[in-house]
Amino acid sequence: MDQQPSLWQFMHQESAKLLQQTIEHIGLTFISLLIAVLIGLPLGIYITRNQKAAGLILGAVGILQTIPSIALLGFMIPLLGIGPVPAITALFLYALLPIIRNTFTGISNVDPVVKEAAVAMGMTQTQVLFKVELILAFPVIMAGIRTATVINVGVGTLAAYIAAGGLGEFIFGGIALNNTNMILAGAIPAALLAIVLDFILSLVQKMSSKKRQAALWSMPLILLLFSSFYVLPVGFSSKLLAGFTPEFMGRIDGDLGLRSIYGLKIRTVVISDAVMYKAVYKHKLDVISGYSTDGRLKAYDLTVLEDDKKIFPPYYAAPVVRTEVLQKYKELAPVLNLLSGRINDSIMTELNFKVEYLNQPPEKCARDFLIAQGLYKDPRAGNHGTIRLGSKIFPEQYILINMYAMLIRGYTDLQVETKTGLGGTKICFDALTNNKIDMYPEYTGTALLAILHPAQQEIRGLAGNRDSVYDYVRRQFDEKYQLSWLQPIGFNNAYALMMRRGQAQELHIQTISDLTGYVKK
Amino acid sequence: MNRIIEVRNITKSFGGFLAVDDISFTIGEGETVVFLGTSGSGKTTLLKMINRLIEPSSGEIYIRGKKIDAQPPEILRRSIGYVFQNNGLFPHYTVAGNIGIVPGLLGWDKKKTLARTTDLLEKLHLAPDTYLSAYPHQLSGGQQQRIGLARALAADPPVLLMDEPFGALDPITRSSVKKDFRHLDELQRKTIILVTHDVQEAFELADRIFLLDKGKIVQIGTPRELLFQPANEFVTSFFEDQRFQLEAKLIEPGDTISLINAFTHFKNRPS
Repeated sequence: MDQQPSLWQFMHQESAKLLQQTIEHIGLTFISLLIAVLIGLPLGIYITRNQKAAGLILGAVGILQTIPSIALLGFMIPLLGIGPVPAITALFLYALLPIIRNTFTGISNVDPVVKEAAVAMGMTQTQVLFKVELILAFPVIMAGIRTATVINVGVGTLAAYIAAGGLGEFIFGGIALNNTNMILAGAIPAALLAIVLDFILSLVQKMSSKKRQAALWSMPLILLLFSSFYVLPVGFSSKLLAGFTPEFMGRIDGDLGLRSIYGLKIRTVVISDAVMYKAVYKHKLDVISGYSTDGRLKAYDLTVLEDDKKIFPPYYAAPVVRTEVLQKYKELAPVLNLLSGRINDSIMTELNFKVEYLNQPPEKCARDFLIAQGLYKDPRAGNHGTIRLGSKIFPEQYILINMYAMLIRGYTDLQVETKTGLGGTKICFDALTNNKIDMYPEYTGTALLAILHPAQQEIRGLAGNRDSVYDYVRRQFDEKYQLSWLQPIGFNNAYALMMRRGQAQELHIQTISDLTGYVKK
Repeated sequence: MNRIIEVRNITKSFGGFLAVDDISFTIGEGETVVFLGTSGSGKTTLLKMINRLIEPSSGEIYIRGKKIDAQPPEILRRSIGYVFQNNGLFPHYTVAGNIGIVPGLLGWDKKKTLARTTDLLEKLHLAPDTYLSAYPHQLSGGQQQRIGLARALAADPPVLLMDEPFGALDPITRSSVKKDFRHLDELQRKTIILVTHDVQEAFELADRIFLLDKGKIVQIGTPRELLFQPANEFVTSFFEDQRFQLEAKLIEPGDTISLINAFTHFKNRPS
């Protein structure tokens, strides 16, 4: 698991995606640059004719420049949503200052005697501008465009945060997955792109004055050509648009598996899970990589596509308990197993929805459920001993831990102490092995991939089968850590592809294979 | 002599400052007129109003009887040559490009322009093969100034305005460029207005000198008239320092009286 392929191997494996991201990145850079030139150049010329406006406009774009890029993108989301439009807008605003300022400076610094000579020879204002001022200011204006280009290549990596693509997808995916190769696969091309573009533009900047006229006229066309890079992939794309989290993009039980096992070729954008569900609900995306029991599944009326080729390992939840405790308090295991088979995916989603969206306290949600199931009993004496329950820091675990606490109090004489919100997997697991807690609910897939780290072959051998994964982790935990897996609760909180229910029905898509088939058509 | 330029009651004020104060005069065809004065006398402002580089506050200017603001300024300027003190050549144009600017604006065909450019370079003793494709920065100050003159003359304008054309040159280069200018036959036919603060230069080149001070014309006359029939004390004192050299310049064969006068004056000059 820890053996990573070399950077070169990674880039080779991912060459198609790398190429697409690079093209997108160039496209993003140049579209925003084109707009910035089309607006900044005339504005820069205008303020050389109107000194009063000069201070105002240079001041305003100067302030824009001081807004941190990530904050600027943040401001864009409520105004323009996600995707290319806000990303291009933000990049355009950054490119504006160097272009306006250098146009202004370049033209202002043209020798006034030469300008007067041009007028005295009988040139019109337009002729003076195009034959003298712009040509002589050309190196300074190009220096501004150069600066803007390099800024755009750099800031453009942030576009991946709002599903606008580009090399940031690898960079942020790599950060999320702690995958150095992936980070470098994005960062190195981005750096090279900046260096190469800077070099090419430096040659243009030093162009002899003879060629400047031609350069000046062909510049918008060249910018337009590169801008079209961004549009091209869209032109070839499938009918549907997928939004996956950076983490999902880099996992074998994620996008890699979708492509290699299903052969799913869908246009994909990378997006943070915070905005993903809403984006699919708002028709900005069609397919997302969600968690199968997330409450937002219900809130936004999404449907989960069946993983008919089993690439997502099962993430069945079950209590993991210190074996020592089970032996000491024989009455505990049967009580904890009371929930087994009671909560399927849709019930868990419903419960999550109540807590996440209806803001019910997890305790009330747990009690209501147990009462409805006829499992609830009033607490007993609680003088036999103490069981320490832990949970990870998300609603589903809070609900489960409350249920277990109620069951233990109602069915045994044991006392309960809860330690909720123990952060991620590692913290819970370490607490358990260090005898700080006695149990917490864990997921089979997480135990397999995040704790046990078996070799790829071994994972493949399990074939994503619910029972074989469960058996594998139960055996391994017992041997290595003296921890016992009790019976699975029933629901599977795995990665899942989701679509809007209405669209999925309309297109008759129920499984991922259906989706692959539809996209191929 | 036909009147070519007529200036009527022209005034220019910058803010509250009167640079040119109610000036009127006429200039005849083919005449060489020098606007002479110290800096701030209004001579350059007056010159620039003739091709509308500066618009007057009031008054009228006519060229060949036509009011100069009756047409767009750029059309007017294409028919008036202009020579700058610091040549004002386009650094991004070759010599040929610079000389061809006005013909280009007038829509001459390329062959005609090239022939005219080559002709001018030869007259100014600059080998066309060497200089046509040279850039201004590759030329010496004197060569640049010659190209500046060639540019002004390219479209053969009837009127030539020259703003201190020798002012930026060192003395040796200046006299050599001046010699070329004087020997250029086509300058003989032109109406020339030249601005300078150099009294000697004015005496060498002018048919008539317009002596300016504080925005007004103090005296108009030939060099001889200004020297020997000064209108007032100012005119006398203006030439005082260089009176001997100026009088010597004006000596013509048989002009003994002047010579004696000049000599006496020189001897009696307080040291």
